[in-house]
Amino acid sequence: MGNALFVVWRESLEAFLIAGILYAWLKGNDDTCKGRRALFIGLAAGVGLALLLGWALLTVQDELSGNALEAFQIGTLLVAAGLITQMVLWMRKNGRHMKARLHADLSAAAEKSGFVGVAVVAALAVAREGAETVIFLYGMSQEGDYGALIGGALAGFAGAAATAWLAAKSLARLNIGLLLRLSSILLLVLASALLVMAVDRLIGSGWLPALVDPVWDSSRLIDDTTKGGKLLADFSGYRARPALSVLLAYLAYWSLVTLAYRRIARG
Amino acid sequence: MKHALHSVVFGLFLASTATVGSAGPAFADDMPTIKLLMKDGRLIPETLEVPANIRFRLEVTNEGPGAAEFESLELRKELVMAPGVTRNLVFHPMKPGTYKFFDDFHPATGQGRIVAK
Repeated sequence: MGNALFVVWRESLEAFLIAGILYAWLKGNDDTCKGRRALFIGLAAGVGLALLLGWALLTVQDELSGNALEAFQIGTLLVAAGLITQMVLWMRKNGRHMKARLHADLSAAAEKSGFVGVAVVAALAVAREGAETVIFLYGMSQEGDYGALIGGALAGFAGAAATAWLAAKSLARLNIGLLLRLSSILLLVLASALLVMAVDRLIGSGWLPALVDPVWDSSRLIDDTTKGGKLLADFSGYRARPALSVLLAYLAYWSLVTLAYRRIARG
Repeated sequence: MKHALHSVVFGLFLASTATVGSAGPAFADDMPTIKLLMKDGRLIPETLEVPANIRFRLEVTNEGPGAAEFESLELRKELVMAPGVTRNLVFHPMKPGTYKFFDDFHPATGQGRIVAK
């Protein structure tokens, strides 16, 4: 049961965190309930997608569809990273003016597309991690251990929800400027971690050269194969033995994002 | 800026999907095959000896009863498997050394290593 709790907690934490951060941000910036409704629709759609993807992962046996699925998963990682980044920039652009604009009833279209973005980001977050949870729980149900299954899974979900709720609650307590900045940074760090994961898997599948592998080895400092190190790797993109192409992608990502972020501030 | 980002994302996405048909690991039969059994949260054997500097295939079987996830950050592999499933992973030439892998669904018991010689 302890193991089920930890696995479910870890697998669902990211989705809950993204939802929590978005919720806190929308609550602070959007007086209407449209944004939050979009968020919940996205989360619900994500659960459906997770079941579908989990089923696909379970039924795929042969090499060719295995590769297609791997490519699809890498694709969703990249799209999720891109969409989160784009949404953060949208939040940056609209954060300060949104209230005024909504009152003036201006640019309803821009607002609408932003909310669609929120829903898609939430759906992708749930679908990606949820699919693995689906398989894990399916496996436990095969073991016939329903008590541990239900207890562990519920405790894991509750733990992840509580963690995210705590994060959202403490975010919401901050003033709007700080809330906007901190939630943006958190989301961007998550997006960069997704990008690192995607590039790593591209290398692992032989679709991208590693160039220099590894560039350094910091596993004595922080070992990414331990429980804690793995969490850090999943959420921040840390690697104890990064390949050069991963490093380049990471640096390119942050310079592009910093550039775009600054440009919006000036404009 | 929005458009630029759009195209970056799309470009990456296309790149990732376009590779499916062309560069999937070829199923050449000269590749040595090494077998790994995942069973009840354990890895059998826990230490795999593999030849260094050549491609090889790892045939992973999850005997169950639960699901398992073969994962290695070092080797950049991640494979979720339902009970009763056998899948192949192709590894690219490795430098001699020791590489860790683990069962991400059973991190307490499923820790193994690959020794490339």
